[in-house]
Amino acid sequence: MEKLPLGLALDLRKVVPYKTGSWRTMKPLYIMQTPPCTHSCPINNDIRGFLRVLADKQDYEEAWHILTRTNPFPATCGRVCPHPCEDGCNRRDYDTPLAINSSERGVGDYGLEHSLEHRKEVLTPRKEKVAVVGSGPAGLACAFHLAKRGFGVKVFEAAREPGGMMRYGIPAYRLPKDIMNREIEAILRLGVELECSVKVGVNIALDQLRQDYQAVFLGLGAQMGAAVNIPGEEAKNVFTGVGFLKDINSGKIPEVGRNVVVVGGGNTAMDCARVAKRLGADVSIVYRRTRVEMPAITAEIEEAMEERIMFRYHTNPVKIISDEDRVVGLLCVQMELKEADASGRARPLPIPGSESVLPADTVIMATGQEVDYDGLDNIGKRDNKWISTDEYLMTSLARVFAGGDAVLGQETVSAAIGQGLRAAAAIEDYLEGNVESSLASPPVVYFKDMNSYYYTRKKRFSKEAIPVHERLKSFNEIYPAFAPGEIIDEAGRCLSCGLCFNCRNCLMYCPDNAVNLHPATGKYEFDYDFCKGCGLCVKECPCHYIQLTLEK
Amino acid sequence: MLKYLEGSHAVSQVVAMCRPNVISAYPITPQTHIVEDLARLVGEGQLDAEFINVESEFSAASVVLGAAAAGARAYTTTTSQGLLLMNEVIYCIAGMRLPIVLTCANRAISAPLNIWNDQQDSMTVRDAGWIQLHAEDNQEAADLHIQAFKIAEQTSLPIMVCMDGFILTHAFEPVDIPEQKEVDAFLPSFKPQHIVDPRWPRALGLYADPRFYMEVRYILHRALEKSENVIRQVSADFAQAFGRESGGLIKTYKLEDADLVIVTMGSVAGTVKDLIDELEREGKNVGLLQICSFRPFPKQEVYRALKTKMNIVVLEKSVSLGRGGILASDIRWSFPRGEQKGRIISSYIAGLGGRNISTESLREMVARVEKEPVELAFLGLNQEIIAERDL
Amino acid sequence: MMETTAEDLNRVEKKNLFASGHRACGGCGQALAARLVADAAGENTIACVATGCLEIFSSPYPDPSWRIPFLHSLFENVSAVASGVEAAYKALKKGPVNIIAQGGDGSTADIGFQSISGMFERGHNVLYVCYDNEAYMNTGVQRSSFTPYGAKTTTTPMGNRTRKKNLPILAADHGIPYVATATVDDYRDLQRKVKTALSILGPKYLHILAPCPLGWGHAGDLTVHICRLAKATGLFPVFEIVNGKVTNVLKIPNKKPVEEYLRLQGRYRHLFQKGEPSGMVAEIQEIANQNIERFNL
Repeated sequence: MEKLPLGLALDLRKVVPYKTGSWRTMKPLYIMQTPPCTHSCPINNDIRGFLRVLADKQDYEEAWHILTRTNPFPATCGRVCPHPCEDGCNRRDYDTPLAINSSERGVGDYGLEHSLEHRKEVLTPRKEKVAVVGSGPAGLACAFHLAKRGFGVKVFEAAREPGGMMRYGIPAYRLPKDIMNREIEAILRLGVELECSVKVGVNIALDQLRQDYQAVFLGLGAQMGAAVNIPGEEAKNVFTGVGFLKDINSGKIPEVGRNVVVVGGGNTAMDCARVAKRLGADVSIVYRRTRVEMPAITAEIEEAMEERIMFRYHTNPVKIISDEDRVVGLLCVQMELKEADASGRARPLPIPGSESVLPADTVIMATGQEVDYDGLDNIGKRDNKWISTDEYLMTSLARVFAGGDAVLGQETVSAAIGQGLRAAAAIEDYLEGNVESSLASPPVVYFKDMNSYYYTRKKRFSKEAIPVHERLKSFNEIYPAFAPGEIIDEAGRCLSCGLCFNCRNCLMYCPDNAVNLHPATGKYEFDYDFCKGCGLCVKECPCHYIQLTLEK
Repeated sequence: MLKYLEGSHAVSQVVAMCRPNVISAYPITPQTHIVEDLARLVGEGQLDAEFINVESEFSAASVVLGAAAAGARAYTTTTSQGLLLMNEVIYCIAGMRLPIVLTCANRAISAPLNIWNDQQDSMTVRDAGWIQLHAEDNQEAADLHIQAFKIAEQTSLPIMVCMDGFILTHAFEPVDIPEQKEVDAFLPSFKPQHIVDPRWPRALGLYADPRFYMEVRYILHRALEKSENVIRQVSADFAQAFGRESGGLIKTYKLEDADLVIVTMGSVAGTVKDLIDELEREGKNVGLLQICSFRPFPKQEVYRALKTKMNIVVLEKSVSLGRGGILASDIRWSFPRGEQKGRIISSYIAGLGGRNISTESLREMVARVEKEPVELAFLGLNQEIIAERDL
Repeated sequence: MMETTAEDLNRVEKKNLFASGHRACGGCGQALAARLVADAAGENTIACVATGCLEIFSSPYPDPSWRIPFLHSLFENVSAVASGVEAAYKALKKGPVNIIAQGGDGSTADIGFQSISGMFERGHNVLYVCYDNEAYMNTGVQRSSFTPYGAKTTTTPMGNRTRKKNLPILAADHGIPYVATATVDDYRDLQRKVKTALSILGPKYLHILAPCPLGWGHAGDLTVHICRLAKATGLFPVFEIVNGKVTNVLKIPNKKPVEEYLRLQGRYRHLFQKGEPSGMVAEIQEIANQNIERFNL
C-alpha cells in the first residue's frame, strides 16, 4: 500500500480505479439484428445499409455498391418490385414506411448514369464453369453472383434478346428497355458469356450441358400462357396475356380495335389492359372474384384504375362470340362468392340467368402461366406444373439447380433474383463440398423493441406520376426521374433498425463512463471492467442494437 | 514602532502585515474590533486581500477552509458561541491539514449568555488538532500572530491564538508594532503543499474507511507532538529578529526557589506575577509556570520545570463540568506514575464569566493551598446566592 | 469564465473527467448528471462537493473517480467553501478557473440553505449545481424539503404532506444573473446550460432532476424515461431565469397525466391501493396543473 499523503490529499493522476464491473449480473452487448425490410425482401438486400450510407454520407456510389452486392437490378426493381420491404418497414408503426422502392430506383439510376461497374469478390478465376439456362432475372442474377465469385458462366437464352419476362413481359412504360438493357450489360461485363436464340432442350440437350459444365441453373420462367378452354378461343384477336405482351415487346403491335376485354386479375392482366389502353382502345378487365382477391400488386391496379380502365368484378367469361372468325364480343356470367376453395380464396359460382355480352374487338386471356418444358420433361415437378427443388435449390437431376417463376409459380422479378442469388450460393457450396449453408442471419428486430423517442416524424417522399392523359399518349415511364436530394432526405428517415447509427446515446447516458468510442475504428465498445449492467444504454438505444444478457 | 492602542487593533494591524489573502469573519463581541479594523484596512487599500462578510461563523470557517485549500493564506477570528458554531469546521480544517490562523478572543459560553472573558470556549476544541497558543498581554498577542503564520505553514497545522476577551482586546497598552519589511523578512510567502488547482489535479477531503482512518489520526497526533519543536524554534527566531521574547511552550517566573508554584495561562499571569512580587517582599517563595502552548501540551517541559516542586496549584478560567479543572488534569498527567508521592497539585477554577481575579482573592487561594491540598475549588464563590439544594 | 460561441454551447462533451470506478448504484441519475456537468465544464474546473451520495460514491481514499481537482469538507457548507476558493483565486490573482459547488437536497435547501444564500447574496463567481433526487438519499431515503407531495420516504411513510421547496425561484430572487433547471434525459440541454452558466460572471444556480432508482423505486434503466415523464406531466418545469426574467421555457405539446409518472415508482405505490388512484393523486395532478399554468408549459 502507498504511504498516506499529507492531509490525505491525493494526486488524481495516480489513481487506480476500482473495477465496478465485478458488480454486474447482466451484461450489455452490441448485437446486430436483421431489420424487417431485409427480412421481407426476397433478395435480402441490405436496405438499411444503402439507406444509411445515403443519409449519413450522401454517397450514392457506395450505396449502389451495397445494393448491388445482392441485387444487380436496382433500377429495374426500383420500378417493378411490389416492395414487400415497405410493408415490413418498422417506420410503418411510427408514421409512414420508408419509400425504399423509390430510393432503390434513385440509386439504380445513379449507377447507370455514372456507368458504375460491379466489383468481383474473387479475383482469381476458378476452374469450375456453370451453365445458366434463361436470361431472365433468375438466370442473370445467378450468373452475376457466380461470376463475382470467380466462376466461368455461360447463359443460354431461347429468345433473340436477353431479359426474359423483364423484356417480353413487362411493358416499357413500367420498365424502359434502355434501363433494363444497361443493367444486363453491366452484368455481362463481369465476363459472363451470353448466347441467344438457343433453346435448351431443343437446340441443345440438357444432358450435354450437364456433361460440359460442373453445374447447371435453370431459370426457365413461366412464359407460356395457360389454356383457358372456353369456346371460341380459336378466333382471331384472342390472345393469351403473355403472348400479347411478348408481341408488343418484340415490336409486333397488333390491331386491337375499339374495345378490348382482358380476363384475369394478375399483373399480366393489368399490363395487358394498360398496354391496350395506350393503343387507343377502351379497356375492361373481367375478373371472377373481387379486388380483394386479385393477385396483382396494388400499384398496378391503382394505376390501371387511374388510366380509366373499367374493372368488372364477379364476372367470368363463358364464350367468345365471333363474327367471321373475328371476335365481336365476350359472353360473361355474373358470379357469387361462396366459401373458400383450395387456394384460400372465396369460391365463385355462376348465377344462373345472369349472362350478358361484352362488346369486344380483342379478348386477352391472362388467366395463368406455365413453364415451357419443351425437351426437359424428365425433370421432377410439383403439382405437375412447377419444377420441384430441395432446400438447396437442386432439382431431381444431380447438379441441376432451378429458381424463379419456374419453381415458385408466378412470382415477381425480385423473387426470381432472390432465387438466383440463393442458387449461386448453393452451387458454390455444392462445388466446394460445403454441407452447411452459410445463410443463417441474425434475428429480426421489430418496432415494439425500439425507442421511438429519438426519431422525429417526417413526411414521406412521394412520387408524382405524370397526368393520365399524358401517360396514355406513349409508352414512356409514368414517373419521371427523382431529384437526388429528395432521395437523400428520404433515406434520412431510415430508423437503422438493429444497427448502430451513431446517435451517441449509449456514450452519453452511461453513468459510469463505461462506453467508449474507439478512436481508430469509430465503433462503440463497452468497458466491462466498469460496466454495472444497469441497462440504461439498452433502454435508450433507439434501434435496439444493444441487448442485455446474463453475466456468467 | 511603539503605538498606544487597543489589543484588537494591535492584532488587526499585525495580521494585516502578515499579508493574508483571504479574510472572512462574522462579528461577535468581543472580537468585533478586529474584523472592523481589518475591513477598514482592506477598504482603504492598505491591505490587498479579499474580505468576505459571511453570514455566520460556520461559513466564516468554511470560507477560510476553501481559501486555504486553494492556496491562499487565510485568517479568521471568533469567540465563544461563534467558535461553538464552527465546531464541525474546526475539526475538518485540522483533519485536512490546512494552515489557517484564527484569533480566539476568549469568552464565556452560553447558557447563560455572558460576553465576558473566560477560557471555556477554546477548551471545547482542545482535542480538534489545532495548535493553541495563549497570549499574556497585547504585545504577546500581536507577536504570536506573526509566529502563528510561520508555525502553521511549516507544520501544516491550524493555529488558534487565544487572547482574553475584553481584558486584552479592549485594553489600551503600548505595543511595539513592527515594520512591514521586518514582518516580510521573518514571514516568507505561503508555499502550499496540497491545493486544488487544475494544473495539478488533486482531491482534498476524501473519505477514509477503517483501513486508513486510524493512521490519518495517528499522523495528526504525531504532527502536533512534533510541532513543539517548531513552536520553540520560531519563538527563538522571533526573539532574534525582533529583539524580545514571546511565545514558546512555557514561561517561568521566580520558579527556582519557589515552595509553591502557581500554574496558569493567559492574561491572569500578569496578576499572578504582581502577587508573587508582593509575597516575595513578605518572605514567601511562590513561583509561576505559565503555559503558553496549551496544545500541543508541553508535557516534558512542564515536568522538567516542576520536577522538584511539591506544592502546585493550577489556576484556570475553565472547567470540565462534572470532572474538574482541565489544565489541572493536564498538569497532573505530566508527572510519570509513581513519581507523585507527596506532591500536591491543587485545582482552582477562577474568573468564569469575567469574574475579576484580584491579588486579594489570589492571596486567599495561596493561604489555603499552603495549608492543605485542594482537590477542586471555585475561587471567590459567593455562597450567599447559592440555594441549599444546589450545594 | 468560459469563452463560448454558439457552436461551443451546442457541442456535446465526453471527456471522462468524472471517470469510471465510482460506487454509485447502477442507473444512478446523480452519477449521470455529475458526469455530464464535469465534462461540460472541462478540465479548468474545481469541483467542490458537499457530503452526500455523490461525494460518498465518488471520493473514497485511495480511488476517487474525479479527474478534475476535488474539494470536500462538510455537508452544509459547500457554498461557503466554494466562496473561499473563489476568494483565494481572486486574491492570488490566479485563474480564470471554473468553480462549481455541487450538492444534493440537504446541502442546497435545508442544512446548507444558509450557506448558499450567503454565497448568492455576496455575488461570488461560483456555479452551484443541485442534484435533486427528492430526499436525503445517502442516509437512507429520508424526507427533505425537496421531497414532493405524496412521496413515501422512511420519515414520511404515509406520504409527504408538504410541497416541494421552489429553490430555483428563491435563487433567482437573490438577484443572481442565471438560474436554470434541467434533467438528465436531455444531455445536450444540460451541458449547454452548464456552459452558459460558466460564461456568466457571478453566482449561478443549476437545478437538475436526478432520479434515484433505489429511493424512487424504479428499475435502473428507467432513469432517463422517468425524467421525460417528470417533464411531460408538468411536475418538473424546465426553464432558465436570466437576470430575473423567466425564459426558454420547455413547452409540453403532449401533456401526460401524473398517474403515468407516479405508477412507475415504488415511492408512490401507496397511492394506488388495489390499483385505484387515491385522492392524493388528484392533488398531485393539481400541483402539475399549477406548474403548467405558472410557467405556461
